[in-house]
Amino acid sequence: MSALTQTGTPTGRLTGGRASWAMQTAEVCRRWTVDLVRQPWGLGVSVIQPVIWIVLFGNVFQSIATVPGFGPGDYLTFLVPGILMMTVLYSGAWAGTGFIEDIRSGVMDRLLSSPVSRSSLVAGQLAQQLLMAAVQGVIVLGIGWLAGARYDGGVLGLVVALVASLLLAAAFCSLSAAVALLARDQTALIGISTIVVLPATFLSTALMPVALLPSWVESVARYNPLTWATEIGRTAMSTDVDWGLVATRGALLTVLAALVAAWSVAAMRTYQKSL
Amino acid sequence: MPPTHAVEATGLVKTYPGGRGRPDVRALDGLTLTVPAGTVHGLLGPNGAGKSTTTRVLTTLSRASAGEARVAGHDVVRHADQVRRSIGYVSQGTGADVLLTPRENLAMTARLRGASRSASLDRAAELLDRFGLADAADRRTGVLSGGMRRKLDVALGLVDAPQVLFLDEPTTGLDPEARASMWAEIRRLAGEDALTVVLTTHYLEEADRLADGLSIIDRGRVVAAGSPDELKAAFAGDTLTVDLVEPDADLVRSVAAGIAGLGDVVVHVEGPAGRLVARTPDGPAVVGPTIAALQAAGVRHGAVGVSRPTLDDVYLRHAGRSWTSAESAPAVETAAEVAR
Repeated sequence: MSALTQTGTPTGRLTGGRASWAMQTAEVCRRWTVDLVRQPWGLGVSVIQPVIWIVLFGNVFQSIATVPGFGPGDYLTFLVPGILMMTVLYSGAWAGTGFIEDIRSGVMDRLLSSPVSRSSLVAGQLAQQLLMAAVQGVIVLGIGWLAGARYDGGVLGLVVALVASLLLAAAFCSLSAAVALLARDQTALIGISTIVVLPATFLSTALMPVALLPSWVESVARYNPLTWATEIGRTAMSTDVDWGLVATRGALLTVLAALVAAWSVAAMRTYQKSL
Repeated sequence: MPPTHAVEATGLVKTYPGGRGRPDVRALDGLTLTVPAGTVHGLLGPNGAGKSTTTRVLTTLSRASAGEARVAGHDVVRHADQVRRSIGYVSQGTGADVLLTPRENLAMTARLRGASRSASLDRAAELLDRFGLADAADRRTGVLSGGMRRKLDVALGLVDAPQVLFLDEPTTGLDPEARASMWAEIRRLAGEDALTVVLTTHYLEEADRLADGLSIIDRGRVVAAGSPDELKAAFAGDTLTVDLVEPDADLVRSVAAGIAGLGDVVVHVEGPAGRLVARTPDGPAVVGPTIAALQAAGVRHGAVGVSRPTLDDVYLRHAGRSWTSAESAPAVETAAEVAR
C-alpha cells in the first residue's frame, strides 16, 4: 500500500515510522545549525564579542603583567585561554533560547507528539551548540594570534584547550537548556547570564593569575569550572605542559558536563509532564 | 485489521494546578468520546470548553489525571510511542520552524520519522504539490501568508501517512478565502480511505460543513453527540428568535408562556440587549401572535426571525447558554493556559 491516491496524497508509511537515535539527533542538530546560519545578527555578535574582549581586556589590564607575582610572559598570551573559556560560557548561557521559542510557537508540541526521542531533541541541540562553540574557539585563538599572543604548546596544545572549552560549553549549554525547559521564560536565561556567568568570570583565573587574587576569591575560584577549563588551556598552550593538571581538571569537567546534560534531559521529561 | 474506532476515550479528567492558592482548574470533567475510523469528527465548543485539552491528551502531549483513552487501538499512556507513530497533530500554534522553508520543514519531519534523505525529499515534494505550496516551497516559512502556513501545518501532520489526524482549530485566524480553501482540503482528506480526522472548532458553520460526527463539548464534558443532521433533527419545526430591548426576563417568559405553539422558551439578557429563543412546530404562524402579545405587555423588541434549526440551537439546548455568551466567558482553558 505504497501507491498514491488520485489526489496525490501519500498513503505509504515511511520505513515503519522509526528513525535511529543517532539519525534523529543529527537531524535536530542540522535544523538548529540552519536556523543559526539564517540569523546573521546572532552569529555576528557571537563572533564579535570575543574580539571586543581581547581588545578591551588585553589593553586595559596590560599592566598586570608588570605586577610582581604575575610571572613570566605577556598578558595577552595569558589572557587568550581565559577569553576562550569565557566566550563559550557567555554563548552557552543563551543555549536554551531555542527551546523557549519552540514552546511558544508550537513546534515543541508537534515534536513531542511525534515518535522522536526526547533525549535526541536535547542532544541534537547541544551538538549544534558545541559545533558553534568550536567555531568560536578557533576564531578566538586566531584573533589572539593576530593580536600578538603566542601559543608555545603547538597544535596539540590548541586541540586540548579547545576540547576543554567544549566540555565547559556542554555543561553551561545544558544548564541553560534545563532552566529554559523548567522556567519556560526568556528572563530566566538573563538570570543565568547575570547571576551565574558574570560572577563566575571574576571568581576565576580567567582574567587574573591566581597569585594576584584575594585569598577568599582564590578559594572560591578553585571550585569554579571556568578555572578548571582555563587551567587546562593555559598549561596545554605553554611549553611545559602539566599533564596531571590536564587529566584531573579534564575529569572534573567531564563529570560536571555529564551530570548537567543528564539534568537537561530530565528537564525535557519534566516539561512534558507539566502539559 | 485496523480498529473500528479511531478514538475511544472514557471518563477523561484533567486538572491543572490553580497556582497561588487558587483552586485547581478542571479542564476535563469526565469526558467520554468515540470516533469511528474513517470519519471526520468535530469537537465543537466555545473557547475554554476543553477541546484543546482533549486533543492534547489524545495526542499523548498531556496526560489525563483520570480516565482512559485509546487512539488507533493503542493506549495513550501505556503505548504512547505507538500512538505517536499512528497520528498527525496540527496544534493551534504553528508547527513549522519559521526560519526553514516549507520543503525543509517537511523533509526534516520525514527524516525524524525514519525516512532516508531521498525518500524524505520525495515526500516533501508530494505534499508541497498536493497543498499547492510548490511555488512557495523554497521561501522561508516565516514570510508566507497565514493560509499557506496553515496548509503547511496540515501537510506536516500528514508526512507519515497517519491513521488519525488531529486538527486543533485549523481555520482560526484565517481570512474567509483561506478558510474556504482549508475547508476544501479537509473535505478532500475526508474522502481518503483509512484516514480519521478529529477536528476541534468553535465555528458552528465549520462543524456543520465538515464533520460526519460531532461531539458538543461544554465545561470539560461531552453534552451531546451525533451527526449534525441528527443533532438538528432532534429539533422538529422551527426556531423563533426575537431581539429584545432592555427586557425584563421574567415578564418576557410569562408573556411567552401564554402564546400557543411556543415551546422550549429561553430568554437571555446581555447588558441592555436580550433575546427570546423558542421552538415552534410552525414558525410563520406564531410570528404575528408573538409580536402582538409582546407589544400588549409593553415589551420593546427588535427583529423577529424564524429559522430552521442550527447547531447554535443544539448548543443552546445542551449547554444551557448561548454560543455568544459562552464565548464571552472563556473560563477554563484560559486559566489552564495561565497555570501552565
